[in-house]
Parts: sequence; structure tokens; C-alpha cells
Amino acid sequence: MAFDEPACHTCETTLVSRLFCFSCNALQPFPREIDFFEVLGFPVSFELKSAELEERYQQLSLELHPDFYGSAPEAEQLLSETASAILNTAYKTLHEPTLRAGYLLHLLAEKQQLDERSLPEGFLAEMFFLQEELDELLDSVNSVELSAMHDDLQNRKKDIEADYAPLFKKHEEHPEDSGILQQLQTHLNAERYLRRLLERIPVAD
Amino acid sequence: MAYSEKVIDHYSEPRNVGSLEKSDLNVGTGLVGAPECGDVMKLQIKVDPETKEIIDAKFKTFGCGSAIASSSLATEWVKGKSIDEAMSIQNTDIVEELSLPPVKIHCSVLAEDAIKAAISDYKSRNQD
Repeated sequence: MAFDEPACHTCETTLVSRLFCFSCNALQPFPREIDFFEVLGFPVSFELKSAELEERYQQLSLELHPDFYGSAPEAEQLLSETASAILNTAYKTLHEPTLRAGYLLHLLAEKQQLDERSLPEGFLAEMFFLQEELDELLDSVNSVELSAMHDDLQNRKKDIEADYAPLFKKHEEHPEDSGILQQLQTHLNAERYLRRLLERIPVAD
Repeated sequence: MAYSEKVIDHYSEPRNVGSLEKSDLNVGTGLVGAPECGDVMKLQIKVDPETKEIIDAKFKTFGCGSAIASSSLATEWVKGKSIDEAMSIQNTDIVEELSLPPVKIHCSVLAEDAIKAAISDYKSRNQD
């Protein structure tokens, strides 16, 4: 066991999640600067099997549930409440790929100077143009062109999302190359503009 | 979170929405975006070539109520000002006027950036 692996404060078993020991069922006091991967007990990586994440979340939310600590000492009641809250936030963030990508980039970029507003060349002007075009399509209720625009934007968004996993993998192989993180930042920024456009298009079922 | 009365006023009746002729040498165009929320804002100024006074301003913003109100207010404020006076408008002035909450401060920053981008576009096209 490595020295820096967190251990249970009562039975000293190596912890999976920093919030709870599955060996002796003890709530764990956790540090303020805990990250969401430690909360759920996964390595800091974009690769995350959603079934495993789901299962770990269910287990932990059951174990940490404040209802079980109703008659426990006040400190433990409080701990179960704060632990449950951070567990929910961590799960929501890691469960959704784009949020996970944004959060992971935030962790990895801590020591690097990234341009947080970067966008592909000419992208902003194109987004403005598309927003104006969308205004016209919405005014004229042109459902054929609206759905064509929707599909086009959706595909562009999917293309961006499909890049997250290979880019993070590339970063793991070349951690010294800050250009990869910058590329991820650009992707995340661009995706937000596409989402804003998509939100304005009513979806016909 | 409730919008202030002034935000609602500008949002429901935005001033100076529209476009100026981009190719006109007396027009400066600023296009800025806020990647944290996906807002995009275009602000244009028209400058009197003799007096260097801003005689007209138009905007178009795709974003939240605060972004629309901030840019609407910005066009009102720059009209009648000299370029240098307009350059000195700070986002904090906009925050104060519209009583923007902390989470909406970036909307006022966007409006200030848009004014500055429009002026710098005008200047770059009118170098003697």
C-alpha cells in the first residue's frame, strides 16, 4: 500500500471512497479540498464506466443517508448530511460526459495557464450568424429548415463530445503538452454555444 | 433570482436593437461572446468624422435578460459621447445602474468588452 493512499480513520483499511469505509461501515471525516473522483472512489480520468459509477453512487448514497444517522451523535449527523450533499454533486458532475470533461479539465489545468475563452477561428461570428438565421426560421415557423438546423447542430455537438475521450487519453500520454488541454477548453467553449442554439429550437416528437 | 426593475425595463423594451452598415467607414463593430454561458453580443457605433462624437449605436444580443439589458444600456450611454468618454465606461457602472447580482456581473463585462471592441474596430479602420 502506498503511503498517500487514504485509509479508514477507525480500521485503517484502504478507502475506496473518501466518504465511507465499506469494511467497518464508518463515516469518514473528509478534507475540504476533496475532488469528485475521490468522493466516488475512481481514478482521476475521463474514462469512467457509467454502470460502475451508478452502482458506487447507489451504494454510497444508501450508506451515507442522513436517515440512518438520526440517533447518532450530532457530529455524525452533520457529517452524513455534508457527505450526502457532496456525493450528489459529485455524481451529477461525473455522470454527464460534458460536465465530467469540464470538471476534469478544471482539475488538470490548475497549474497551467489556459486561455479560458478560446474558440475556433471565426466561430463567434458564425454563431451570431446562426442565431440570426434561427430568429428568422422561428418567425416563419419553417419546420423543415428548423429540423435540418437542429440535426446539423446536434451532429456538430456529438462530434465535439466524441473528441473528449481521445483528447484526455492523449493528455495522459503527453501530460507536458498543454496544447491538448487548450484544445479541450476550446471544445468545451464551442459546445456551450451550440447548446444555446439547440435550446432555442423546439423539438417535434 | 429576481431581475431588477431596470433590467426588466431594458429587457422588455430594449433600446437601439438593430444593425448599422458594417462597411461604412464611420461604423465600428464589436462582436463578443461569453463562453461560460454561450451568450453572443454585437454592438455597433457610428462616429461623426468631424466631431468624433458617437452619433448612433445599435446592438443585438443573444443571451439572458441581464446580457440584453447590459448591452441596451451600453448603447444608450455611448450615444452623444466622444470615443474617449465611451472608452471610460466601466462594467461596474453597468452593474450599479442595473443592480446586477454577482452571478450576472459577467454580462456587464461582456457589454464593456463590446463597447471597447467596437471602438477599436472603428479606430483600426480610420487610421490616418
